[in-house]
Amino acid sequence: MGGSASQLPRDLLGEYQELTFLTKQEILLAHKRFSELLPKEERESILLKRVPKSKILTLPELRANPFQDRICRVFSTSEHGDGSMSFEDFLDLLSVFSDSATSEIKSHYAFRIFDFDDDGTLDKKDLEKLVNCLTGEGDETRLSESEMDQLIQNILEESDIDKDGTINLSEFQHVISRSPDFASSFKIVL
Amino acid sequence: MSYHYNEAFENPDYHYSETLEIDRSKERNSSFQQNLHDSSLHDDSYDSYEGHSGRGQRNQDYPMAIPMSSMQPGFRYSHSTSRSAVPNTNPYGNPHTNPSFEYEPELAYTSPSTFHAMDGPYVRRSSDMSDGGSFSQRYNRRQADLVYRMPSSLLRLDSNAETYNEDKHKQEKLIKNLASMSSRERIKAIQKTPKTMKEKRDIRNKVLMEKTKKSVSYSTQINCCTQCLYKTALSYRRFKSGLSEYFHLLQLWQKTLKVIGGKFGTSVLSYFVFLKWLLTFNIFSFLVNFSFITIPQLIASGPNNLTFNGLELLTGAGYFKKTVLYYGFYTNSTITKAENNSSYNMQLAYIFTIGIYFIICFFSLVYSMAKSFHKNFINPQTYAGSAAKLLCIWDFNITNEKAVKLKQSNLSTQIKESLSEVTLEVLNLSLKQKIARITVHLVAWVASLGTAAACCAGVYFLSRNNLQLLEGNKSELEKEAATLVLPIVVSLLNLLIPFCFALFGLIEKFQYPRHELYVTVIRNIFLKISIIGILCYYWLNDVATSEEECWESLVGQDIYRLIVIDFIFCLLGSFFGEFVRRIIGTKCCKKLGVPEFDIARNVLDLIYTQTLAWIGIFFAPLMPAMQIISFFIIFYVKKVSLMRNCQPPRKVWRASQMTTLFIFLLFFPSFTGVLSVMGVTIWRRTPSKQCGPFQGLTSVIDAVSGWIHILDSYSSSKWVVWIYRNLIGSVHFFFILTVIVLIITYLYWQIIEGRKIMVRLLHEQIINEGKDKMFLLNKLRALQTSKLDPSKGEQQERSSSLYQPSRQAALQMTASLERPFGRNGRDYYAESSSAGIPEKIGLSPADAEGHQPAISETLALALRARQQAEWEMEDDDDEDFRP
Repeated sequence: MGGSASQLPRDLLGEYQELTFLTKQEILLAHKRFSELLPKEERESILLKRVPKSKILTLPELRANPFQDRICRVFSTSEHGDGSMSFEDFLDLLSVFSDSATSEIKSHYAFRIFDFDDDGTLDKKDLEKLVNCLTGEGDETRLSESEMDQLIQNILEESDIDKDGTINLSEFQHVISRSPDFASSFKIVL
Repeated sequence: MSYHYNEAFENPDYHYSETLEIDRSKERNSSFQQNLHDSSLHDDSYDSYEGHSGRGQRNQDYPMAIPMSSMQPGFRYSHSTSRSAVPNTNPYGNPHTNPSFEYEPELAYTSPSTFHAMDGPYVRRSSDMSDGGSFSQRYNRRQADLVYRMPSSLLRLDSNAETYNEDKHKQEKLIKNLASMSSRERIKAIQKTPKTMKEKRDIRNKVLMEKTKKSVSYSTQINCCTQCLYKTALSYRRFKSGLSEYFHLLQLWQKTLKVIGGKFGTSVLSYFVFLKWLLTFNIFSFLVNFSFITIPQLIASGPNNLTFNGLELLTGAGYFKKTVLYYGFYTNSTITKAENNSSYNMQLAYIFTIGIYFIICFFSLVYSMAKSFHKNFINPQTYAGSAAKLLCIWDFNITNEKAVKLKQSNLSTQIKESLSEVTLEVLNLSLKQKIARITVHLVAWVASLGTAAACCAGVYFLSRNNLQLLEGNKSELEKEAATLVLPIVVSLLNLLIPFCFALFGLIEKFQYPRHELYVTVIRNIFLKISIIGILCYYWLNDVATSEEECWESLVGQDIYRLIVIDFIFCLLGSFFGEFVRRIIGTKCCKKLGVPEFDIARNVLDLIYTQTLAWIGIFFAPLMPAMQIISFFIIFYVKKVSLMRNCQPPRKVWRASQMTTLFIFLLFFPSFTGVLSVMGVTIWRRTPSKQCGPFQGLTSVIDAVSGWIHILDSYSSSKWVVWIYRNLIGSVHFFFILTVIVLIITYLYWQIIEGRKIMVRLLHEQIINEGKDKMFLLNKLRALQTSKLDPSKGEQQERSSSLYQPSRQAALQMTASLERPFGRNGRDYYAESSSAGIPEKIGLSPADAEGHQPAISETLALALRARQQAEWEMEDDDDEDFRP
């Protein structure tokens, strides 16, 4: 606990256990890791403080993730939209990415993470960004324009059930339900 | 950006169909237009505006309030309520309730102009800023549908109070719903809501308040008994959570597994998880055997006076012969402690411990297999293409920066390859090529099966010769060294033949890499299991009938040697296969590159040793201890070798499906084979006369029947006798059991078939819905262009979005039409619920409730759209409707 970090109150811990999919150990570990992100003098009031996005992204679990910005944005409750996170946001994140979260809630958040423009559907632009995240932005790995078009068309053909040109949440969850690997790969453990 | 909108309009089916022409002519009829506008299309979207504006407003006025309505569809169990509730709670069910609707029918069209591109329901909105951001996260299934319905500043004042009431009503309903659940269900339900912590806490507090309210009124009725029950339940729960915490600490290798997953992804991780799973099996069996068989024997055994030299560790003979390791050391007597006269029957302990262990193994294997199948093969049809897989392909476990880069480039090449493959596959193979391909496959199969058969024959003759060699008179050391020949040959075969099979795989050109993988796995498992099978035949047929002093111990020694030598080869394999290979790959021959971790081969090795260990349990009860040690070492060696030498696999490995396959392989040839070997040993073979717990009996099972015979004389244990005679010992019982199981299987199979048909029908239904939607969108746009042309300039001025105004309206339409799918889509797949159909078909009429004059026309429109869609469907191939 680093000596200076304050302990979580017992009742609060119970409440977190009730509201998230995390176990007691996981919450305590999250608390420890989160307080390490705060400067020493702020550790006493961990529940009130927000950690800026740049600090959150120094966590080794998120540092290399190509979707790090989206993850911060989706889980942050910041008023300014800067992706900063409170401890409870952080717990929300871990809860969704935990082992015991249902694949329903996982797919829900995955959809939000992939919905780059936050408009509630995955359209062509979202898919393009998604594929770019998957292949990396480097010149040699990036897909050419025609490849991208072909790929997105294939994706839409397979998953756009009602043929409206976008993938909505239900369609996305339908795709997810057919790939059993998703639940095990959509996971971040501290 | 306007891609899908344009597509709808360029769809020739809609432009050039006859019905559309008719519709177009009808469009000119202004009354129709008005009706259309007034009824079904309008009010639904209108409703949701309100939902939104109300919410935005409420957020400023009542920061604590939460839109419970939006939560309902998130719960599976509240589907029924939400289904019935939504149409009824439509505030425009009665048009008079909203004056703004009466005055300004066009409002619905003009208001979307305040739409902001970034103004999704779950991004922070300027109106939400005052609310500490609790609102910014709001997004759930229903809201996904509401997404384009933006708050209209004009409407907000009119409707917010009303919508607030409505939301509040829904919220109360939901809280009541939650309050009526058991606390466990409630916690689960709240956990499942995709909301921020603050909102979840609010919901929970409200529910708890509701509960306390109720409990105050009930408090007089609570009597002592329920209180007592409640207390025990509470303490039980506390005990359970405490226990789970404790077990959490016990979890082995958590950190290591995380590191492996972080660098190599889920696929390689699955090997280590499998290893860990087998290890727990062995730890369990070790504990059982040690406590019920070994400890009593240790109490009774005398001193061991054989000398120990190092070679025993390899051969398992010599000193070990007279230890608890082997069957031969155990006595057949009952062990009695003089003080309290309690006795321990070694025969029964031996047979029951091993029997019960196998039964537990059987059920846990069946259970994990069924669970795995249920999870991974639940969908009868999987996508032929893999493009959609991209949506969920990213492995969030990977945290290593280099690994991420590598994974990205791998994905990129994969995508490029698959795209080029799609174009290649269009070229059909000629007949000649097909025949050539099939012949190559056939030859490869014959060759691999022949190799396996040859290996088996070789092993059999070698082992027979070895037996004779043992009987000849040579020095003790030479004898012991000679015993090592057989296991070394077997291990060599196990190591080298798979490489041969891999070569076959290079010659055969499989269309899909998946097929190649499956074929290689099947060939390898065939080889390994047939080698074990021939060894078992040799043990039961030659060793058991030979005049050896203690044949069970000999078999135990053989198995010991096989396991030890295989373990050594496994270590050598990872040294040469991975370490030396990496040196060659990086230093001498750059083209080879760094090796990949061969998951299939390694898992098959594990299955092989586990099979041996299971067979060995009867002949050497402490075999699991060996297995534990060897798995421990293998885990660390493999981990180090993996970290130092290997690179993450290039191909996508369908980890969960392969794990299912491996569990199945562990069950089917492996475990069932072990059971049959056990069966033969226990029922058909005579145990050796001078050693072991069963000496002097004609077969092992006689111990049990003798015991039953003794029990027969005690009246208090008649039921045991009855169970034995009528259930376990009777053929009829098993016959009836088999028939029942077969009937149930058939029933389930039929249910699955029915579900498949249902899924197909519903899929067609969804496509029809989509076509309906497109058609109505077309209509709406046509209508709008004719109507809104004059006000276009003004609108664009007001709009801060990138969208064209017509698109906004269209999107709004999309959202409103999408709602049934959004709400019920899950049910269609999860439950194949038939209840969904009537509602979907009745979409327009249901929404038009209260607009009596408009119904007929709307219905007509919807029906026409459906009809048209159906005509189209008949023209298309069936393929379009299959995933």
